Parts: sequence; structure tokens; C-alpha cells
Amino acid sequence: MASLKTGIVEDFSHIYTSIKFEMQKHLKRKRLVIGLLLATAIPVLFYIIPKLWDVGFIGTPGLFLSTNLSFINILIIISSALFAGDAVSGEFERKTALLTFPTPQRRISIFVGKYCAALIAVSVLVSLYYLITMVEVMVIHGVNSVPHEIFTSYLLALLYGSSVLSLTFFFSSILRGVISSTLMGFFTLMMILPILSTLLMVARVEPWFIVTYAGGLITTVFGLPVGTGMTLGGGPPESQMFTLYQPDFTIGIAIMALYALLFFISSIVLAKRKDVE
Amino acid sequence: MSKVVIETKDLTKRYKNGVMALQNLNLKIEEGDCVGYLGPNGAGKTTTIKILTNLIKPTSGHAYICGVDVNKKPKEALHCIGALVEVPGLYEYLTPYELLTYLGKVRRMSKTDINRRIGEVLRIVGIPAWQHKKIGSFSTGMAQRLLIAQAVLHEPKILILDEPVLGLDPKGIKDIRNIITRLCSENKTVFLSSHLLHEVGETCTKVVLLDKGKVISFDTVDNLKKMSKTHTISVELLEPPTKKQITEIRSIKLIEDINFAEEHLRIGFDGKRNTSSQILAELVSLGLKIISYHPQSMTLEDVYISIVSEERGVG
Repeated sequence: MASLKTGIVEDFSHIYTSIKFEMQKHLKRKRLVIGLLLATAIPVLFYIIPKLWDVGFIGTPGLFLSTNLSFINILIIISSALFAGDAVSGEFERKTALLTFPTPQRRISIFVGKYCAALIAVSVLVSLYYLITMVEVMVIHGVNSVPHEIFTSYLLALLYGSSVLSLTFFFSSILRGVISSTLMGFFTLMMILPILSTLLMVARVEPWFIVTYAGGLITTVFGLPVGTGMTLGGGPPESQMFTLYQPDFTIGIAIMALYALLFFISSIVLAKRKDVE
Repeated sequence: MSKVVIETKDLTKRYKNGVMALQNLNLKIEEGDCVGYLGPNGAGKTTTIKILTNLIKPTSGHAYICGVDVNKKPKEALHCIGALVEVPGLYEYLTPYELLTYLGKVRRMSKTDINRRIGEVLRIVGIPAWQHKKIGSFSTGMAQRLLIAQAVLHEPKILILDEPVLGLDPKGIKDIRNIITRLCSENKTVFLSSHLLHEVGETCTKVVLLDKGKVISFDTVDNLKKMSKTHTISVELLEPPTKKQITEIRSIKLIEDINFAEEHLRIGFDGKRNTSSQILAELVSLGLKIISYHPQSMTLEDVYISIVSEERGVG
């Protein structure tokens, strides 16, 4: 019993060491800096552009937030590709696994550490993005004008971040090449899943099970100008109409959590079983 | 009786492409042994080392480090080893200090010990001034020295090295050889894989010869060296000897053994210059038309090739 406890403590200690090492690598490779620049530049541009063009800001605080935060999904996908795209595949392709694996630690500890470090990095960027956006709302509309939904949106963004990260991590575990694994994760989240969602909507099927669709909750919590199931399109015939859906709050959270958990576990299992041939 | 610290039992590895890298490999390396693991390319040396360091799983059989099954309890088994497998990639944006600190922490070393040992090992491998320089700026030889440094950082009882002098210049090879020799003299167990018999002969006390995934010989370097003292004379004739001449040659007392192949003779003798001269005189007196006459000693390499060839059934 005592040795089991010691073993668990040691495993957690290895995870902590791995997290610190990965964060150090993100810093040294300037990836964290690139991410921080993006997380700063995008929301700042939303403030600067209307100022420079003197066109005024988007009407209400809620609308300003939902417009500004619609880009957080892109930031999450880019940062996931940055921090997790080559997390596992890179160790095999660059043969650094030959250095880190023959050490007295579980491989699971290494991979969990990598995932946690990437999650921390993504969370830092998301937090910075929200902080800047919130300050902008305060500057434009007053200190008390920030809607309380921003906190729900923030938590949803973190949950979405973990699900996107798990999916990216999964591709990194199943593919051996750094470029292929990074591009696969990036294009799946940026193109394949959104296209699939749109096609399903055209067929009037709600894509509730697609994570990028569920990620829409980040902005829909502020309220959308259109309701779910609303059809758009010019005149008859009816077949030309396009149905707009918005994710259900509970189902959306469940889907994001499911993606996060399922792909995280799968990627850890796959990475652990991978031989360094 | 010494304790067995590295052991394999019926270790077999068949890769997905069908290549049989190891076939029921049985090895026992005792504590304090300095063993060279020799074999031609593709013999299964790296496969054995990768299984011993839990980088790959065997198809069947077991590998034990300090009595612990590596593939079942890798965390426990890998505690007492330092390893260098193939040519690992290095994080080129990090410094040796950062990399070694991480590896020290993984091995549960205290911060004081890590700092002390980083200084020591970098001095041992000859790159003390590069502690805080980016690894990306290192030459191949320096990177190899750093890899040796990480293997000995935590002062392991067992050192598993796979072709450690690969890519090094002559000075680097000599330095690394000295380090290994020193570790052997400190009663560490060293398991050194190489395809260079000379390297193993210089640093190890025992040699395992491996071919096609099987152990074909496990002996001391001294015994191999004794075998290598076999002396031969290579003789080339203008025309093949007659049956009568062959009988007469065989009756020369100074000749220990002889092989005939058309116009070529391979004569075994005691290695003395005087004997060589007398054999030549006797051959000439038999009326043989000699084109060339080369007395030579069998090198360690020759012994190695001869054992491998014998095992493969090559005449």
C-alpha cells in the first residue's frame, strides 16, 4: 500500500517535471510568444480599426463581445496546432524519444505532462484574449457594462480549448510525421468539421455531435440575432432555404467534454503503445 | 557468485515487416562485467538494446534489468541504468544545462546533485564551457559527448551504450573509450554494442558475438585475443601442386595446418620468423613455383569474421 502511494506520488512528480520541461520548450521555441502576440493582436485590432476609421463600435456590449470572441475559436485551433500538433509525433520523428523514454518514468507521465503544458499554454492565451476584450468593453461602454455571460463564455472557451487540444493530440499520436499530424489536426478543425457541419445544416440535420459546432456556444451565450431552426434563403422553392441551428447549451457542453476526454484517453493509450523503431 | 544484472530469456523480436531480428536470445551479464556486444549490421544489437531500454516490446521472451522485467515494470527497471541508444535527437533550442536538469529531475536527483553532476559530467566528456550554449550550435562530436554525459549523469550502476563513438573524430573516439574504460574500472556494468571489434577489444573484458539474432559466441576478450594470435602464411603458386607435392607439403613438420585452393595455399604455423623461412625453403625444394609468400597474423577482426562465417556455414 505504501509503495503504491509512493509510486503515485512519484508519477505526479514526473508529470509536474514534464509540464515544466514542456513549458520551457514552448518558451524557448518562441511558440508561446507567437501565441501571446496573436492573443493580443486580434482583440486589439477590434478596438483599433473602428477607432482609426472612425466608424464607431458595434452597438451593444453583448454584440461587441460575440463579434470579437468569434475569433477565439480560430486562436484556440492555431494555438492547439502550435502546442500539441507535434507533441507526440515530434518525439518519434526527431528521435528525441530515444533520449527521454529510457528513463525511470512512465510514458503516460510524459504524455500527460505534454497535454497539461499545452492546455496551460492555450488557457493562458484564451485568458489574455478575454481580459483584453473585457477591458475594451469597459473602455467603450463603461466599467459596469460587461455582461455576466462573459464568464460562462470564458469557461466554455476553456472547455472548447481542451476538446480541440485532445483532437490535435490524438492526430499527433496516430501519425508519425510532424507536418502530417499538425496539418491533419489543423485542417480537420478549420475546414473538414466546419464543412461537414454546413453540409448537414443544408440537409437540415443539426450537427450537434460535431465539436466545432458545439464550440459556437462561446459566442451564442451572448444571444444570437436568429433563433435555432430558423430558415434563411430567397423565396420559393422551399429547397433553396438554409436552416440555421445553434448548439444546445447542455448538449454542447457534453459534446465538448466527451471529445476532450475520449480523444485525450485514446491519444495517451496510442502514444504509450507506440514502439520507437 | 556475481549477481546477474542484465538478463534475457528466449527473447524474440519479429518486426511488422516480417524481419526476425532476435531469435530466442539468452544472455546473462553479471555485475561489474564490461561486455562488448558485437555483430554485423542487422545482427539484432540495437533491437536487443531497444528492448532492454523499453523502447520496443519483444514478440516473446523477457528482458530483465536488476531482476526486474523491463517491459512489465519499466519504471523500476530503468532506475539503475544510463543509456545511449542509436543517435537520439537533441532539443537544439535548449542548453546542456537545461536538458541535463530535466533528466536529473526525472531521475529524482536533488537540485544540488544535479548542479554538481552537470559540471562533472560535462568536464568528463570535454565540453565544460558549453554548459549554457544552445545545443543547436554543437558539432556532431559535441552532441555525441553530451549524449554520453546524460547517460552517466546519475552515476548509474549499469551503462547501456549503442555505438557510442558513432560520428566522432579520432580524438573523440579516444576520449569516449577512456571514459568507458574508467567506468569499467569503477566496477560499473557496461554493455557496449558495436560493430567495431577493435573498439570492444580496447574497452571490454567479455564479448558477445551476435549474428542473425542469435548469440554465436560469448567469451572473454583474452580468449579471443589468444585465437587472434593464430599465424598463417598465404602462398600463391604459378600452377596447382600435384598430388605427390600435396602429400609432401603435408609431411612438413613445421606446418600446423594447411588449406589448398587451386594455386593458393594457406599454411598455419607458430609465427616465428625462422619457421617461416624454413617452410619457404622446404616448399622451394619440393619444386613448387612460388609467385608470392606472405606470412601474416590473424587479427581480432579475422577471428570475428571466421566465427561468423563458420556459424553461417561459409567455407
